[in-house]
Amino acid sequence: MIHKIWAIAKQNANESLYYRFDLLLYIFNFLVEITVYIFIWLSIYQNGNQILGMDFQQITTYYILVVSLNPIIVWGINEGMGTAIREGEILRELLHPISYFEYYFGMRIGELIEATIVGILTFGICALLFGVLPPAGILNFLFFVIVVCLAVVVIYFFELILGMTAFYTDTIWGVEVLKRAILNIFSGMIAPITLFPGFLQKIANILPFKDCVYTPINIYFGELSQIEIVQVIGKQCLWILILYVFAKIVFHKAIKNITVNGG
Amino acid sequence: MVRNLKLYGAFLIASLKKMMLYRIDCLVGMFSQVAFQVIELVFIWIVFQNTETIAGWNFEQLLLLYGVMMLSVSVTELLFDATYDIGRKLIRKGKFDTTLLRPVHPLVSILGDSESYTALGYIVISLILIVAMLIRLHIAVTFLLVMKIVYFGILGGFIIGGIQTIFSVAGLWSYKSNEIVWSVFQLHKLAQYPIGIYNRFIKLLISGILPFAFASYYPTLDYLGQQQNYLILLTPCIALLIWMIAIKIWNWALKKYRSTGN
Repeated sequence: MIHKIWAIAKQNANESLYYRFDLLLYIFNFLVEITVYIFIWLSIYQNGNQILGMDFQQITTYYILVVSLNPIIVWGINEGMGTAIREGEILRELLHPISYFEYYFGMRIGELIEATIVGILTFGICALLFGVLPPAGILNFLFFVIVVCLAVVVIYFFELILGMTAFYTDTIWGVEVLKRAILNIFSGMIAPITLFPGFLQKIANILPFKDCVYTPINIYFGELSQIEIVQVIGKQCLWILILYVFAKIVFHKAIKNITVNGG
Repeated sequence: MVRNLKLYGAFLIASLKKMMLYRIDCLVGMFSQVAFQVIELVFIWIVFQNTETIAGWNFEQLLLLYGVMMLSVSVTELLFDATYDIGRKLIRKGKFDTTLLRPVHPLVSILGDSESYTALGYIVISLILIVAMLIRLHIAVTFLLVMKIVYFGILGGFIIGGIQTIFSVAGLWSYKSNEIVWSVFQLHKLAQYPIGIYNRFIKLLISGILPFAFASYYPTLDYLGQQQNYLILLTPCIALLIWMIAIKIWNWALKKYRSTGN
């Protein structure tokens, strides 16, 4: 099973890596984004404001990690799922000798390969341009990577569930944008969650998306104790289980509803 | 010139009618635009939970600036959205050659195919935001001010649209212009905030090299009643200059163009 998933991942990655110039443009876009963030916070610090125990170096590093994690977390399979459903490709996907879930997991890993390349390059360029704090320790960095990997699995099932609405509506653009809005706000991409007003913090604490960006970055800074890190990992595994079961239920319902165009 | 503009209008109306057929796509489009705005507005809101002003601008002033940029951007989308289609939809599928055969400048018929009428709803939202912020800032919404807002909104749309048109020329060779046009377009985000926060390089970039600031920052200064703001008088000249460059580059590129079809 794993080698099948890996084969699909490699194929998908090769396809997207064919357009090398696009990778540069993606990185350029992230640079524009981070420039806005950094200069806004810089002007706030120059006003003499103190922001919740974070100094400017820390907040710069925070946003550099945000834009580097952005492709890894936000890019996903929804567009591919939507196109497959609209163009009737879904029929072949369902007949594959590999299950629908495994197939798209492979696609997600393929996306991840491209996203990781973009993320690492973005991180490198930003580190040169703006300066970046190193991780608090090797162990911290290791846990950072583990939590991000688990976050990708959580997001994968979330995407799968959202994508299956296209079985009913034939269009996926709406849910794709909804996904982006939710992830951008509640994962702590737009700002560290501790800076949010109270009620938004409460929502962010309930949802699993905080552990995709905000928590790993705090692990990188060494703000979490080892017990807390283990708790986070446990929580992520629980979310994966819940979302997996939910996705299975939705899939079995949705599959009966499908109409194939040109099938 | 006048004939070209007339034809452009006719093409635009035809493509709007075409798109009106798909209501659901329209609703989804509008919804997604609003969702993207929400992300940025939440960001601004959170920032102002932690500070009173950014570079001397308070929350209402910043939202006014944001609304002015949104207006320019939606005018761009309404009029010049087709700059995204040149590589992907036209060149790669050989449709571009059709436009070459028409008895009108190809640029006119391509840009006239812009079909982002979701921008119409967007223009309304940005106007509401602008007026609401003007009222909260106790600035009298006079007839002259409204005319100014409309005038600079259209000019801003032409400035951003012109910049996009210049870069869309890349589609003739890369067969997928949308990514590069999108990347250049993203630079407008820099001008969504007071340019006082940036260093000299970025200030020069967005007021001189790619003058996005003339689609947002300088007009907003004027609405806020800043006195020595002579730069604003340059806006129409800048729009004109950009379009002259765009047309020159396009004419040059058209001579070099080779079709993908047969």
